[in-house]
Amino acid sequence: MSQAEFHYIGQHMPRKEDYRLLTGRGRYVDDVEVPGALHVCFVRSPHAHARIRGIDATAARGMPGVVAVFTGADLARWTTRLRMAPPIEGLQPMEMDALPIDKVRFQGDPVACVVAGDRYLAEDAAEQVQVDYEPLPVVSSMWQALQADAPRVDETLPSNLLSHQQAVFGDPQARAQAAHRVVQSTFSMHRQTHLPIETRGCAAIWDAGREHLTFHVGNQVPHPYRTTLAGRLRLSESQVTVVSQDVGGGFGQKIALYREELVVAALARELKQPVRWREDRLENLLASSQAREDFCRTRAAVDAEGRLLSLELEIVEDFGAYSFYPGNYLARVVAMILTGPYKVQDYSYDVKVVLSNKVGNGPMRAPMAITSWLMDGTLDAVARELQLDPLAVRRLNMLHPQDLPYRMATGEVLEDITPRETLEGAVAAIDYADFRRRQQEALTQGRYLGLGICTVVESTTYGSRFYKAAGIPGSGHEAAWVRIEPTGVVNASAGLGPTGQGYETSLSHAVAEGLGVPMSQVRIHLGHTDIAPYGMGSRGARGGTAGGGTLYLCAGEAQAKVLAIARHHLGLDSPAVLRLREARVERQSEGVWLPTGLSLVDIARKAYLDPTSLPEGMSPGLDFHKTYDPPPMTYSNSTHVCEVEVDAATGAVRFGRYVVAEDCGTVLSPVVVEGQQLGAIAMGLSGTLYEHVEYDDNGQNLSGTLADYLVATAHELPHIEILSMHTPNRSTPAGIKGMAEGGVMGAIGALCNAVNDALRPLGVVADRQPLTPMYLRGLIRQAQHS
Amino acid sequence: MKPAAFAYARPHTIDDALRQLAAGGGQSKVIAGGQSLGPMLNMRLATPVELIDLNDFTELAYVRDVGDAIEIGALTRHYQLADSALVQAQCPLLGQAARTIGHYAIRQRGTLGGSLAHADPAAQLPLVAVTLQARIELISVRGRRSLPATEFFLSAMTTAIAPDEIIRSVRFPKAAAAEGSSFKLFNRRHGDFAIVAVAASLALEGERVARLSLGIGGLDAVPRNVDALVQPVLAQAPQAGWTEAAARAVLAALVPEDDARIPAQYRQELAQTLVQQALTRALERAITKRDGGCP
Amino acid sequence: MKNMEPQDITLTVNGRNHEIKVVPRRLLVDALREDLRLTGTHVGCEHGVCGACTVLVDGRPQRACLTYAIQMEGHEVATIESVDHEGRLSVLQQALHEEHGLQCWFCTPGIVMTFEAFLRQNPAPDEEAIREALSGNLCRCTGYQNIVKAIQKAAARMRPEQI
Repeated sequence: MSQAEFHYIGQHMPRKEDYRLLTGRGRYVDDVEVPGALHVCFVRSPHAHARIRGIDATAARGMPGVVAVFTGADLARWTTRLRMAPPIEGLQPMEMDALPIDKVRFQGDPVACVVAGDRYLAEDAAEQVQVDYEPLPVVSSMWQALQADAPRVDETLPSNLLSHQQAVFGDPQARAQAAHRVVQSTFSMHRQTHLPIETRGCAAIWDAGREHLTFHVGNQVPHPYRTTLAGRLRLSESQVTVVSQDVGGGFGQKIALYREELVVAALARELKQPVRWREDRLENLLASSQAREDFCRTRAAVDAEGRLLSLELEIVEDFGAYSFYPGNYLARVVAMILTGPYKVQDYSYDVKVVLSNKVGNGPMRAPMAITSWLMDGTLDAVARELQLDPLAVRRLNMLHPQDLPYRMATGEVLEDITPRETLEGAVAAIDYADFRRRQQEALTQGRYLGLGICTVVESTTYGSRFYKAAGIPGSGHEAAWVRIEPTGVVNASAGLGPTGQGYETSLSHAVAEGLGVPMSQVRIHLGHTDIAPYGMGSRGARGGTAGGGTLYLCAGEAQAKVLAIARHHLGLDSPAVLRLREARVERQSEGVWLPTGLSLVDIARKAYLDPTSLPEGMSPGLDFHKTYDPPPMTYSNSTHVCEVEVDAATGAVRFGRYVVAEDCGTVLSPVVVEGQQLGAIAMGLSGTLYEHVEYDDNGQNLSGTLADYLVATAHELPHIEILSMHTPNRSTPAGIKGMAEGGVMGAIGALCNAVNDALRPLGVVADRQPLTPMYLRGLIRQAQHS
Repeated sequence: MKPAAFAYARPHTIDDALRQLAAGGGQSKVIAGGQSLGPMLNMRLATPVELIDLNDFTELAYVRDVGDAIEIGALTRHYQLADSALVQAQCPLLGQAARTIGHYAIRQRGTLGGSLAHADPAAQLPLVAVTLQARIELISVRGRRSLPATEFFLSAMTTAIAPDEIIRSVRFPKAAAAEGSSFKLFNRRHGDFAIVAVAASLALEGERVARLSLGIGGLDAVPRNVDALVQPVLAQAPQAGWTEAAARAVLAALVPEDDARIPAQYRQELAQTLVQQALTRALERAITKRDGGCP
Repeated sequence: MKNMEPQDITLTVNGRNHEIKVVPRRLLVDALREDLRLTGTHVGCEHGVCGACTVLVDGRPQRACLTYAIQMEGHEVATIESVDHEGRLSVLQQALHEEHGLQCWFCTPGIVMTFEAFLRQNPAPDEEAIREALSGNLCRCTGYQNIVKAIQKAAARMRPEQI
């Protein structure tokens, strides 16, 4: 079915969840009232690397309101260690205690937990906990981590190399030797952090009678999280309920079970009193997962026209000190999808992931974000070296529709994507030729305008076969239920974890379409592990395809049963065509849909209250469950084009127009998709210009407040123009593709490429981020002096 | 992050506040807008034993013409400075600077006294005070005294305020008939503290620049008045090259230090650019005023 | 010291008086959320940058994380809960809904409170003025564009009809 044939999917409807949120009646974890709850505050290491010689909490224990102080040794009695060890060649296993016992590995590593009557008192006491540290040499950079004699962050491992994945496809080196030119480029992306406006936090309530833990936490993957939490507490999954209602942003930071959260849960059980934790912003910047610190090198062998003959990729990633998620993830995804929309079969990658004395990494919205900058940036480098037009080089190398399905060098199959269409759409919208004319004119006045292009092929969904091939534990399937109540209202659920992306709306579109009822009649329930079915949660842009897809299919099964009952009741032969539309049963007669007088309410009443009137062999009720495993990977694509001006005197970057042409497949909710695209692009632009988690040579985190870690405000971001060019995926329910990360990828690439396009006359290249005015001015100065 | 415990006093009169402050023995701190002190308290970078609230003293929020100067009360909020017609007419540089502070919400709360007492090296109001050689009135139980702004700022975040003193008011000289001003700053994001800021006020007599008040923030630990450095260049104005010459004269004397994020050379280049921009704009406005127009 | 102890204060919030007991250092935002159970005002940073905790004090926007509850006696505090009237959204709230100006909503109450005041003082703001005022509120989800559109829509609707 195409978008035009849907009745509910794709309708422009404002969000259903807004009312409670706009009026201040949402329920975030810290809003949940937990009578009698104690509050915790963690004592955190001031050192980046140190042995814990001893902890003296005597003074702290004596302070007002303090109930107890616990250390790693205590927590080890009540929890299991985490072992992160998927059986992957080149990936080292890592283990983690609930709280460190022997040594701390980053500034901010929690070493003790104060429990008190309120947070104020807990903080007072935390200041009084005396920890005797023996500082150790610090690994403060990826280069230092790789040195043979580097101090070891994890002493159970032979070195700091956590993961090393290599692969060769075809013969890139031979192609390079025979090439007209080999263009080498480097790309250095800086460390960033997710910065959801709501920090982490949780509340644990232990029912000692039922031996049951209710755990309130803002989390993207409630069921897998519950499994992990139960396991580490040596409880069975049915002894744990995870409740994640409203969450103030996740972006990948709220997936893993953090040690602080595990400690809170364990303490609630030990103390037999509810315990809660509110992470403050300083802790969030210091000790919540971080991301993106990658150094990359590409070698592109090209012919005289700029056609790619082969591509070699090297990446080194600084993973921090702990493995909150598998260290080979980057290798798998980035290396796999790097070549994106471009044709090249001779390809190799070498990806090293190293440990350092910084916070452990967590996947951050578009963990593979660097790929589009790498790929389009490499093509720009080719254009510079061969003195070609960057757009021409892209057109030469990009997949044509007739090349699809295209088997990438790595074995990934690309189909149902439209990169050439989005490229042409975006450059037409920006009026490429006119820009080049304006650029030339500005140059004569000493002004530097630049235009950057970045075409993104965004991997979404991640079905089970992807995880299996990647050796990442877990599944990619999703689960849903749809239940039509006796009064005809529809309740539905899936195993996703909402963090603000409007699921109540987009999933209502899917259910409404599958079943044939108005969206207002559908109520979506998410985030409560006793209510929602066991699903894999929200990450990697899977909500639309996996969540929406499963619900659409489930709702379709519901409609089938409803119509079977209707058919029986109306005494019709099976060839009679019926449908449910606006919760009313309609019958097609000579090409026209006619009312039958039956509504969903009537059918529901029969199903629940008059089961003997149902067709022979049909069971009562209207309660449907479904699981669905999407294709191993689906793809969305988009082309981002960004205009900038670089001020030669100050290095400041000012935005002109920003256009994105997007193909996200079938769109469940246009409102939600637009919001996701705008938000993703904003995050990419903000990251490229401002956001930087900086550690000094001693591993001290210099980005401890929001005055240091800068995020773009409304004043810094351009107006974004979106061109929708959606085409469906032919193998997913309703043709959904999913989206929400591609915007980050495209924004990073388009902005960097735009700045480099502006600097091209000066013969300098910005190959690292953030693109601070100081850095750009330094490049310009270099050019002016030589 | 919750602050360390403190006691709270909300005196009814200014004299009560001064007595309370004196009795605190250096362990009491006054709070006005709280935009700078609040974060420091919450992060436990400041741990006073007592907080003395000045917000009830609305009699200290005023903008007054006192003859040869404009007098502004210490509790005047930034938005009041930004919106004041009297400031706009008589001391426009102050209004121009105030409009660049933070953003709308910050300007509702931050005060002139608070900004001067906080003494961030690149803050707007300290820079304008130093540029125009304003006089700062300090009061305590021991009496009152007035200090030139150029003697008030001692080092980054450090001023000449005694532990028992508060700022009561500041007097800014009125602009002359043919005087134009300009405030230029450069920051990473709108509303952030400046990396470098320049305040310029230029008075014409006919074609000649009769007086130039010029101040730079961000090149040193305190904002600097550089009138003396540019005095020799004034005769060249308004011929081509005069603003470059002025910038060179300033940079020859004010040499910033490298810090981890911002190289000294970058600050110098910024200062060069901003001085030239500010002088050019101030001159344009002075000419317009001289010729009877509205700048 | 005895005057660090909890003290009885009266907080006037959303038109009602509340007698509560607070230590001097208790943040206004904590008093609102926990003592008065008005959880619509959110904590995002506790150092005045993100703006999520913005409330109105005597009609002007103020960060509740940079205010101590004890300072608020004799002042009128208004929070997000006071903006809608018996379930009917304000003009600004309605515009945010129509323009999809909120996603996770954690920053939204701060934006609503800032702009309820801003639009009263500035009935015809241009986009630059809106973005300038909005720069005091961090949003990580929306990229701000639809928030700006919503504010423009609200401003237009709040202006009396031009003849």
